[in-house]
Amino acid sequence: MKDILWLIQNTLRITFRKKKNIIMYLCMPLVGIFISLLVYGGDQKTILHVGIVNQDQNKITTDTIQFLKGLENLEITKIDEGHVQRKISSGDLDSVITFEKGYSDSVLAGEPGHIQLTSIKGAAITAYVKSYLHQYIDNIATISYVAGGNREIFERMYQDFQHTEYNLVTHTLEDSSKNKFMTNQTIGFLIMIMLMSAGNMSEIILLEKENRTFFRLLSTPINARKYILSNIIVNMIVMTIQVFITLTIMKNVFHIGINMSFGSAVFVMLLFSLIAVGISLVIVSFSNSRSAAGALQNLIITPTVMLSGCFWPVEVMPKSLQKIANFLPQRWTLDTLTKLQDGNEFSGLYLNFMILFAFAAAFFLIAVYRFSRNNTTQNFV
Amino acid sequence: MNVLEITNLTKKFADFIAVDNMSLSVAEGEIFGFLGANGAGKSTTINMIAGLLRSNDGTISILGKNSAKQSRFAKMNIGMVPQDLAIYEDMTAYENVKFFAGLYGLRGAELNERVEEALEFVGLQDKHKSYPKSFSGGMKRRLNIACAIAHRPKLIIMDEPTVGIDPQSRNYILTSVRKLNEMGCTIIYTSHYMEEVEEICSRIAIIDHGKIIAEGTKEQLKSIITNTKDVWIEVKSIENANLESIKEINGVEAVFIDENLIKINSDTGVNNLNKIIEHFMSSGIEIRSLQEKAPNLETVFLTLTGRNLRDQ
Ligand SMILES: Nc1ncnc2c1ncn2[C@@H]1O[C@H](COP(=O)(O)OP(=O)(O)OP(=O)(O)O)[C@@H](O)[C@H]1O
Ligand SMILES: [Mg+2]
Repeated sequence: MKDILWLIQNTLRITFRKKKNIIMYLCMPLVGIFISLLVYGGDQKTILHVGIVNQDQNKITTDTIQFLKGLENLEITKIDEGHVQRKISSGDLDSVITFEKGYSDSVLAGEPGHIQLTSIKGAAITAYVKSYLHQYIDNIATISYVAGGNREIFERMYQDFQHTEYNLVTHTLEDSSKNKFMTNQTIGFLIMIMLMSAGNMSEIILLEKENRTFFRLLSTPINARKYILSNIIVNMIVMTIQVFITLTIMKNVFHIGINMSFGSAVFVMLLFSLIAVGISLVIVSFSNSRSAAGALQNLIITPTVMLSGCFWPVEVMPKSLQKIANFLPQRWTLDTLTKLQDGNEFSGLYLNFMILFAFAAAFFLIAVYRFSRNNTTQNFV
Repeated sequence: MNVLEITNLTKKFADFIAVDNMSLSVAEGEIFGFLGANGAGKSTTINMIAGLLRSNDGTISILGKNSAKQSRFAKMNIGMVPQDLAIYEDMTAYENVKFFAGLYGLRGAELNERVEEALEFVGLQDKHKSYPKSFSGGMKRRLNIACAIAHRPKLIIMDEPTVGIDPQSRNYILTSVRKLNEMGCTIIYTSHYMEEVEEICSRIAIIDHGKIIAEGTKEQLKSIITNTKDVWIEVKSIENANLESIKEINGVEAVFIDENLIKINSDTGVNNLNKIIEHFMSSGIEIRSLQEKAPNLETVFLTLTGRNLRDQ
């Protein structure tokens, strides 16, 4: 164990001493985030500038405006009626809400009205403000309806409502489908980078054979098994870092909601990293030189990554290709993530996990078989 | 106790027998030389001793323990200097030695001390921070040696450590081999260079086609062929020299050509010098010089294997 640690330490030190490797292993995974930002647009939490015209100076109206002010990504300014068109067309405001005279009464009467929403930025923004506003207004209307005209009961219920309602306001409404696409795009790219990194790290085995240092290592108390184990561990360490960096930056810096727990995302991706190591070992075990391994890598990684929907949703591909994709571990990884995003229970996905694990096991077995056969033909691994 | 004991060792590559039923023992404190032409099986034998290759048959024991059964013990006590350079280009000289020494379990202050010691031993003490990229061939060879000795092995195996280097580095290496030996290391030394082997080895095995065809001290080996002598004739040009007819002269056993030098192996009992000179004169070949040599290792080698040590 001590000697394996020594090997791991050394490999990590030599690897991360080179700028090229730092870029390749630590910066490249983040490129996926930028691509997804480019494709699906910028920050989710843009602030909406909303103007308020208040022609109905009543308590209910003031409370409603207060409620809007409490919303996280709205910025409220009071304006005069005459400025509505100008402020909107100049782009100073995204939308304007006008409380006309009688708004308060109409709500109290249980039939909300006398409220107008003006915006030119399209339905998305209006819908966002509307959904919150309507919910709020409907609640008051319901209270009023239940009170049945009894002023005292209404006041009491209304008071209670005001207190509870403010706590609900903190949640930002995010477009979850957009987030899903961005997550998939980023993780799809991460999958490709992980496969490439794993390939590179495993090629060290071939490099050492070419440099004859592998040969020398075997004359020390290290044996081939320990050596390869150390290579696998280094590989796993690098990929674990990649997964953590990517998911953390995606979530905490760019606020792309992954729609599943951080832990489950990490778990799935680490399961995939086992698969990536397995694939890279198979490639190495079938190659006599680094150039052969490199060629084999390109031949395998690029097409499978494209087929399995790492760059675009599989649904856009012809049915026949989609069927092929079902035999690819990358597809199953993305599929597992999608299921998690759709709200499936982690524990309910054991079949997916089994399949991913089976992929990893199969690749490792093939590699071990190849390596041991090489051993008997005396190529030293 | 013998540091190394080989019995009936055999190695086949497919149908090709590279090492053929070889037995050998090396005692503590010896510098044991392996002498053999290209492809004789020296490296194959050495790789099996170092645990890099599995044998098809036979046993190897290191310091009395079977190396197949106690491979860790064997490897801990062996320092292997491979024929091909095996150093990391992207690590400094110091890091290279430290890395390999660390694999033998050395750590901390002791490790650093040993690394310093090994680098000093091969004369690279002021090259700690340099990368092998910037080294001459000789310096790389010396680093290659340093990587094998930092853990102070009992048995050091050197597979052609001086191949293709400048005379200065070669002298340095030969001196270090002697010093290592004086410090108590047993050494197995392979070389193409007869002079080196003759100079430093206390015992020598001549290997041909995977077999040991002669073994002993220099004197013992030379005594095998006391009944032959060497006649070296330097000619202006070997064109027109009919070698086959030289072989027909009474007493001549073998003829070799080394550029303009014709080396004739001949029976000491027959006085045929006149006939040989006559042969050259009658073919019109101008003789530049002629000398009779006492038998040396090269003669032994030529006589026993019928071929030159180095393919030229
Ligand atoms: N891995 C291998 N597969 C097949 N044949 C091999 C292998 N290794 C060595 N041989 C053959 O075994 C024979 C002995 O090789 P070896 O390297 O032991 O010779 P050597 O005495 O060290 O020669 P040199 O002086 O050139 O280093 C050679 O004919 C070589 O071609
Ligand atoms: Mg050799």
